[in-house]
Amino acid sequence: LCGHIVPESPVVPIGSNFTALCVLSDSCQNIPGNVHANQIIWKTKNKVVPKEQYTIINQTASLVTFNDTSTLVSPLTCNILVEGSIEQNIYGIQVQLGLPPEEPKNLSCIVTQTEKDKYALPCTWDPGRNTFLNTKYYLRHKWVYENFSDCIPSDGNNSCTIENAMFFVNVDVWVEAKNDLGKAESEHIKFDPSTCVKLLPPRKVSVNVSELPTVLKLSWDNRFDLDLELEFNIRYKVIDSLDWLEVPPEDIATRRTSFILQDLKPHTKYVCQVRSKIKRWAEATWSDNCPARWSDWSKEAVG
Amino acid sequence: RQSIQQTYDLTRYLEHQLHALAATYLNYLGPPFNEPDFDPPRLIGAEAVPSATVDFQLWRSLNDNARLAANYQAYSHLLCYLRTMDGATPTAMPTLRHSLAHFRASLQGLLGSIAGIMASLGYPLPPPVPDGTPTPNSHFLRKMDDFWLLKELQTWLWRSAKDFNRLRKRVPPSAVMLHLETRGF
Amino acid sequence: AQRHSQQDSHTQYAQLGKDVTIQCGSVDRGAVVTWTANNTDLDASHLNGSWLVLRHVDLSHSGQYSCYEGSSWHLKYRVNLKVGTPPKEPVLMCRSNNYPNGFYCSWHLPSPTYIPDSFNITVKHDSKEIVCEKDASPKNRCYIRYLHLFSTKKYKVTLTVTNALGRNSTTISFDEFAIVKPDPPENVVAKPIPNNPRRLLVTWQYPSTWPDPDSFPLKFFLRYRPLIIDYWQHVELSDGTSHIITDAYAGKEYIIQVAAKDNEIGTWSDWSVAVHATPWTEEPKHLTTEAQGTETTTSSTSAFVVPSTTKMYDSERQAN
Repeated sequence: LCGHIVPESPVVPIGSNFTALCVLSDSCQNIPGNVHANQIIWKTKNKVVPKEQYTIINQTASLVTFNDTSTLVSPLTCNILVEGSIEQNIYGIQVQLGLPPEEPKNLSCIVTQTEKDKYALPCTWDPGRNTFLNTKYYLRHKWVYENFSDCIPSDGNNSCTIENAMFFVNVDVWVEAKNDLGKAESEHIKFDPSTCVKLLPPRKVSVNVSELPTVLKLSWDNRFDLDLELEFNIRYKVIDSLDWLEVPPEDIATRRTSFILQDLKPHTKYVCQVRSKIKRWAEATWSDNCPARWSDWSKEAVG
Repeated sequence: RQSIQQTYDLTRYLEHQLHALAATYLNYLGPPFNEPDFDPPRLIGAEAVPSATVDFQLWRSLNDNARLAANYQAYSHLLCYLRTMDGATPTAMPTLRHSLAHFRASLQGLLGSIAGIMASLGYPLPPPVPDGTPTPNSHFLRKMDDFWLLKELQTWLWRSAKDFNRLRKRVPPSAVMLHLETRGF
Repeated sequence: AQRHSQQDSHTQYAQLGKDVTIQCGSVDRGAVVTWTANNTDLDASHLNGSWLVLRHVDLSHSGQYSCYEGSSWHLKYRVNLKVGTPPKEPVLMCRSNNYPNGFYCSWHLPSPTYIPDSFNITVKHDSKEIVCEKDASPKNRCYIRYLHLFSTKKYKVTLTVTNALGRNSTTISFDEFAIVKPDPPENVVAKPIPNNPRRLLVTWQYPSTWPDPDSFPLKFFLRYRPLIIDYWQHVELSDGTSHIITDAYAGKEYIIQVAAKDNEIGTWSDWSVAVHATPWTEEPKHLTTEAQGTETTTSSTSAFVVPSTTKMYDSERQAN
């Protein structure tokens, strides 16, 4: 090799200035006609860099300076003009332009029930501007006395799912973003996962006629049997109507598996749905950071 | 800020988890371990597992510090044993291994919660548990130890639920929160 | 002739359905005697010499048998015959309804033996024997105090029953937590709530036998149904001793029961005594003729009256 460029493979913040040094090595001497640094021609891609941006350091070293990176296109090559117009390439580098990661924002998590006794903790966040660089995001979580392995997004860079949410221990969750130009950390959110569960919808919802023509018996199974208080929403409508009627939430604010719908149109088919939520317990610390959500509506039951 | 109510709920959550896990694990151990009337002698290995059994009047009269410390020490020991159990579970039983790992992590959470509450109330943590649990020299004795470990765990969790139920009624939440605030939890 | 009845009475037991031979005390087997049963002469067919032989005895054979010397009518021997059976395996049950103070064990025989039985109970825990304090009444019950709590060692209770015809025993072993079963909740009261046609307020109290509700809280299970309908609805309540039923059939009398269980261990109590209540209903108005006219018009135009407590909304508004 007749020379090399320093730095080798730089990552340069967009909008900053950049200098590179091309150093001719002894092996350049076998190029005919005594080579000197002032013969060096810098090029970005195939475009010659204006001479004003050169600084000859000594016989073997030439410096090029870019005051802003808008003209800095890869590859940046160091070339020498030998014997008239023959141009020989000495060395080239790829310059990566990009930005350090911004502080990830709007970190939000919701515990999702995936099976009867299984709860995952998917979190989403806003990664901020494009960094144009290979930026790694890590969803980190820990207890006061215990650290856990990072959750690394499988695709995309704004969400990750912690496989096992563990209840009744306050967890500290945050996002860390890292690339060659820097590192950023989101705000931490602390919460008890038991306060922010989105339950699987009630199942086996069934509607049975009762002894009275204006009454229907709605029953269902809950898929959550921890000793936490549940609350429900029930909506029902005449089969072809668009207008749902809703049972007042205060009437269905305890753990139950049935409800009597009354004052209905006699001898009329109704469609009913149920959904449930864990009731916030009095001392739920920081449950505002991760509020409970309603389950999806159950399948429709007709009766 | 870990409250006593949360720790009480965590204890009951662990009871709930262990109920299913113990049945699965005993079935994995097979007869006679999974028979309801199986009542084996407690051998040396299992003797080292701290027993939840306590004199009734003594238990009633425990002060908060002693009550918390007893729990802390028990779960420190039990977690050590649980780790050895984890290693013994065959890879061919992923669901059991997953449940065991999840349970162990939750139990670790309980230990941390107890430590947090003790620190918040200004109580010293008991000395750490000496490493190394006695490993039985036969497969059957190993299963016996596992049997007793599970039974002891179930009993400790039942006792802890009663302990934390008493504590949550005696120690006002604010007392715990206040201290925790100053300790940057 | 005057019978001389001065003789101390013996007791002899005989097994139901078996044959019985009663000797006339020390009288020679060949001697001529007369036997009476409850002072009624027995005919000679029962005699084998001076011995009395009764075939396939049943309960009616129980009674007083006397043997008199043939000519002198001198009472030679008197016996009380008691017909019965050897004890079958007794049924033993232990239960703690006042945890953690202690537990009681009670027993009964699956079928009567008709003769006196004696019971002996031993309780072992952690290879130590524990005293089972006999109750004055009921007789077939005794009480064990918990010296230790939260034990992993099982309790082993052995009951042996003995009578003159035989002996039997049963042994049960159980964990401390398994036998905890509170008594049903007490003072269950159900009341209508004024101006609420579908609500009933139910209140109850801890069973008075439950010694320490603070340290050992109970959870409750409430079931309710209209008298006219055979379909129970259930609500589980993790704490507190009251509940508002919110979906009672308007105007229908309800039957309500509550059960209790320790938060962690044991089994549910039996259901409490049932209470009855009917939700509040509007007092029928004393209508004047004019008011009655308008009332009829209103009710006929809106056949479908939206229940006052139900909110109408269309599906678009239904965000998460």
